[in-house]
Amino acid sequence: MKSRFTEGRNILTLVLLAAFVWSLTTIPWGEDLIHAGGGQAFVQFVTAALTPELSPTFLQRALLASWQTLAYATASMTLAIAIGFPLGVVASGVLARRAGARLTSIYGVRLILAFLRSIHELVWAWLFVVAFGLSPMAGILALAIPYGGILGRVYAEVLQDVPQAPLHALRVAGASEWKVFLYGRFPMALPDLLSYGFYRWECSIRSAAILSFVGIPGLGYLIQVSLIDLKYSQVWTLLAFMVAIIVLVESWSNLVRRRLAA
Amino acid sequence: MNRQAALSQSAALPKPRIGFGGISLILFMSLAAASWDFILSDKDSGFASFFRVETWAGAGAFLTRFLGVNGAEPPAYLRRERWADMVGPAYETLAMSLLAASMVGIGVLVTFMPAARNVAMGELSASHSFSSRILFFLIRSVYIFVRGVPELVWAMLIIFFLSPGILPGAVALGLHNFGIVGKLSAEVVENLDPRPARALRAAGASQLQMLAYAILPMALPGFLTYLLYRWEVIIRTTIVVGFVGAGGLGREFRLSMSWFQYTDVALLLAVYLFLVIFVDLCSAWMRKLAR
Amino acid sequence: MFMLQEVTKRYPQGVALAPLSLAINAGEQVAIAGPSGSGKTTLLHLIGGVIQPDAGDISIDGRSLSRLRSGRELARLVGVIHQQHDLVPHLAVIHNVLAGRLGEWGLMKSLLSLVFPQERDAALRALNQVGLPDKLYQRTSQLSGGEQQRVAIARVLMQAPQAILADEPVASLDPARAEDLVRLLTQLALSTGRTLVSSLHSIELARTYFQRIVGLRNGELQFDLPAAAVTVSMLERLYDLQGLRDEVEVY
Repeated sequence: MKSRFTEGRNILTLVLLAAFVWSLTTIPWGEDLIHAGGGQAFVQFVTAALTPELSPTFLQRALLASWQTLAYATASMTLAIAIGFPLGVVASGVLARRAGARLTSIYGVRLILAFLRSIHELVWAWLFVVAFGLSPMAGILALAIPYGGILGRVYAEVLQDVPQAPLHALRVAGASEWKVFLYGRFPMALPDLLSYGFYRWECSIRSAAILSFVGIPGLGYLIQVSLIDLKYSQVWTLLAFMVAIIVLVESWSNLVRRRLAA
Repeated sequence: MNRQAALSQSAALPKPRIGFGGISLILFMSLAAASWDFILSDKDSGFASFFRVETWAGAGAFLTRFLGVNGAEPPAYLRRERWADMVGPAYETLAMSLLAASMVGIGVLVTFMPAARNVAMGELSASHSFSSRILFFLIRSVYIFVRGVPELVWAMLIIFFLSPGILPGAVALGLHNFGIVGKLSAEVVENLDPRPARALRAAGASQLQMLAYAILPMALPGFLTYLLYRWEVIIRTTIVVGFVGAGGLGREFRLSMSWFQYTDVALLLAVYLFLVIFVDLCSAWMRKLAR
Repeated sequence: MFMLQEVTKRYPQGVALAPLSLAINAGEQVAIAGPSGSGKTTLLHLIGGVIQPDAGDISIDGRSLSRLRSGRELARLVGVIHQQHDLVPHLAVIHNVLAGRLGEWGLMKSLLSLVFPQERDAALRALNQVGLPDKLYQRTSQLSGGEQQRVAIARVLMQAPQAILADEPVASLDPARAEDLVRLLTQLALSTGRTLVSSLHSIELARTYFQRIVGLRNGELQFDLPAAAVTVSMLERLYDLQGLRDEVEVY
């Protein structure tokens, strides 16, 4: 018996399976898939986990690097909000009264936002470093730009998805679109805006750690240095710091978001 | 209660809630102030150089070299053979992303149900058995650790023992996202309506049968949606992972940068953007099918 | 078949069931009536072994309910239909119906059936009995509320328990569908000789289709009589319609 409901779902299953199998064929299967010497180095690396570097001087360096990572992430977030929020407001089209202006504002700005967030922050970082030299501003901009793009897109949707009844009441009372926004839309959207903002901040810390591979001070830079020097114990300490700081921020962010959603 | 009052009540503005969110916001802002202060006050932060003319002149020079104006030869993005050269790396990059997404999919399908609180120790479990609690904490810890380490770091570690190619990149991306999609999918299970599952148990189903007949079908759409969203993020991260040796467009990117062939970089970024748009469209189409 | 002796259930909010004794014989069809919050659902859940009483004893066929160790044993004795949300909406109807057999199937067979449905003919027969033979492969969420309830009945038929418990099975349906469903349920129970205990908020349906009505109010047994012997004044007292009428007049 022909089954009707299987159309959409089974196509999807087939497509997924096909994609998986195809991707497997592109791997150069063979003996040199695995490094000969690499096996040894890997074992050394894993066993070094049992003896992480705990000397006070190194711990101090790790702590400083953690603070640097945190500072860069936070500074970038403030810039990202400064970019993303205004762009998000325009991209939501909530301030434009006439349909024509609304369409151009929505689609035009959304295109810009899509472009900003399609490029990974590391790529932005590499480009900025080549353009501006190895300055922290390069790193901050490299993080703020894509994050601004992401924030803008999500903020646009949050601002659009606000309940309409209170807004209508304000309009009926004679308020202009700006006043409707300030007294109605914005306060109602605020919990979700804050919630997503905190989530992005948490992501920015991870990104800032990676950005420091490019040379900006932070945990990533130290990890790279220690890896090149083959000082695996140090790498494990730094990884622990990285995971710890991310878990801390994630917990705080989760707490805030749960309270905001309540 | 008269009708007018009732109407206006439903349209009334909710009171803006401060409280914990507000305190956190204030904390965040003070952190932000401290951060900026730290960065700007650092003598060689380079912030001052940002306002010097030379910096912007240098940036301008880079931009012209990037776009290939006044160049000795025509820029790479206008030459057909350079586009043809990019097909191979683009193919590899797409394959890398699919491989990573497949690893995430399989890994999560196997682990996400025991990682849900209600399945492991709550209303949907057969009994509060010790082993299911341990399994829960184990899987959740793996998720946390694996996603706490950024993809780039995973790639650098994996390059150790896997020869450069798309496999190390795929494994790095797959590992990291396995933690993310795993956690999100477990949360999907935790938010499920328990009643169909409970009805199945009342009809005599065992724990595993209940998982297969109720939990898995109900959680599958949410899981697929998260997986496809992460695929969009994965394709954007392949260029980064390729940079440390994993192959694909990222490797080409590093090569071109180190040879100062900036118009090639422009071409690469254009190809990369096409890939990203392509994946975004595929993901959106597949997500619609998943509903 | 069912024997409840001095069964009590307390909740933090208050007493749900005061000491209650009830005996139901095999093959009987009993309706439980009463206003909301009177303890109908609690009583059904106690009979069905979903919850345990705080005091008193419940036994099925002479065996105490609390002694039954396995869910599978209980499933052979009792099948439950709820008001809603019994079925897995994402699955095809055939899988939901076959799920009634999960208590008898091993894990391998259950998993195989998701791809290649086992015992298809039995499922088709069950669906025929509830009047939905053509919905075999449709996604359950695409069916209407009344059709989904009939699929739930089909599942219970596959489960083939000795007794069927129904908790407000027609509360979400319009009156015409509700009557169709109650007629179907009672006919099936009668024709297969199964015990049927159902809570209903519609008194007309209870009186028309059930042999015996048990009235609950505030967790207490108000009456336990053959359907024909239940008078209007008993029902008024049960639902406190007199008091309600007074309230309406004041308003």
